This record gives sequence, C-alpha cells and structure tokens, in this order.
Amino acid sequence: MAEPNDIIHQPLRLKIMAALYAEREIGPLEFSQLKAIAQATDGNLGSHLATLEKAGFVEILKDHVGKRPRTRAALTSAGRQAFRRHVDYLRELVEGVGEA
Amino acid sequence: MAITRNEAAVALSDIENTARRSGMLRGYQVGGRILMMWSVIWAVGYLAMAFAPAKVWAPVWMGLDVVGVAGSLWLSRATAGQGASVPGASWRMLGGMLSVMAFVLAAFAVLQPTDPAAFLAFPGLLIGVVYLVVGFWQAPRFAIIGAAMFVITLVGFFAFKSWLAYWMAAASLALFVSGVWLWKR
Repeated sequence: MAEPNDIIHQPLRLKIMAALYAEREIGPLEFSQLKAIAQATDGNLGSHLATLEKAGFVEILKDHVGKRPRTRAALTSAGRQAFRRHVDYLRELVEGVGEA
Repeated sequence: MAITRNEAAVALSDIENTARRSGMLRGYQVGGRILMMWSVIWAVGYLAMAFAPAKVWAPVWMGLDVVGVAGSLWLSRATAGQGASVPGASWRMLGGMLSVMAFVLAAFAVLQPTDPAAFLAFPGLLIGVVYLVVGFWQAPRFAIIGAAMFVITLVGFFAFKSWLAYWMAAASLALFVSGVWLWKR
C-alpha cells in the first residue's frame, strides 16, 4: 500500500499541489492564479508555498515582466512523485485496499 | 499520520474540485483573448454590412471567419502553452467553430430568409446560445456573456431593426469588455 504524506495532506497544501499538478503540462502558475485556484489569501498561500518549497516539492520562480515583479510556482519532479503517491494512498484507503 | 476513509474521500474530492477550477480558470484566460479578437472581427464585419451592398457580405464574412479561426487557434496555443498546450484542444476548437459556421450556412440555405435583418441577427443569437450552453455545463461566466449577447441581439432586432448593422457593430464593444472580464478572471 502507498504511504501518506504529512506535508501534502494539509488542506491548503493539498489544493496547491493539486493545482500545480493539473497545470504541470502548461507551465508554472503565477501567484495570483494559484491564489484564485486554491481559494487562498496572500499570507496563507505564501507560507504554505514556503513549506512546500522547503520540502523540495515546489520550485518558486521570481522574475520581472517589464517593471512588474512576477512570482510563479511549479512542481518539482520530487513533488510530482510525492503527490501521485499521496493520491494513490488516498484512493487505496477509500477503496479499502489492504484491508483483511 | 492516521487518515480515516472519510478524510481521504474529502481530500480526493478537494483535489478533483481544484483540478476542475484550474481548468475553468485557464479556459477563461484563453477564451477572454479569443473573445476580444472576435469582437474586433464582429465590428469590422457588421460595419461592412452597414456600408457595403449585400452581395459582398458573404465573401467579407468568409474572409473574416478565416482570420478569426486562424487567430483563435494561434491564441489558444500561445496562451495555453508556455511549453505545451492541452492535447487535442486545437482540433476540438477547430471542429467546434467549423460546426457552428456550417450550421449557420445550412440554416440560411434551408430557411432562405428574405429579411436582411435575419442575416444580421441569426449569428448573434446562435453564438449567444452556444455560450449559454457552455456556461451552464462548464464555466458560469460564459453563460452570462451568452445571455447578454442573446438579449442585445434581440433588442436590436425588435427595437432598432433599420439600424441593426450599426447596433451589432456597437455591441461588439460589449463582447470586447466580456473578453477582458474573462481574461482578467
């Protein structure tokens, strides 16, 4: 049976990971887009992104578009794997896999 | 960490909802740019109908539609993909647009309207309904835009029939504003 991931399972971090996973083929998500998708506040999103970055699951990209600063986030390869494993765990739990 | 089956089910539901919201917001962003471009095409097309004789309406719209379809495909790829676009999205969009155009041409061929105002109003009503249906099924903002288009077209047809081409050209401004509203999400 797959293993749960304590860092990812926190509700907002789960949404952040789900949003970034859904957009993995499209490219990094801007902070404002991620905020809208995850339905988070600036402060909440920033602190949970920092936690995910520290765990090596998320990469934060900072640059400028013209004079405007831009912050984007994307899943790392480790983040994609960890998210997939956590989702597998959740599915197995719901489906009762591993129960006697 | 102990997660109960209920908590796991809630988490999976959260993941699914987040992915759906992500797709919807991406659709708004892509759709907004496309709508802004079509608003310019509509303005040019309806102004041509206002000033040019009826015999050139079809070739003008054919040319504008080709520009519109090519522009929509380009914008969808450029907006969606800083690297990759959604697989099959271009073909689905092309198929959808060609289907709508084929339906308009077929409807005119079968119904053979004699009132020039019918030619002006029908595309507005049809696109309005298409947006309404898309909105009800997938993305609520499209329903609001579709309803507005539908109503604006009907108001123009019944209240300003002799000025309908100008009315529809002016209505493209509402389309442009709708596009900005979607794009800014």
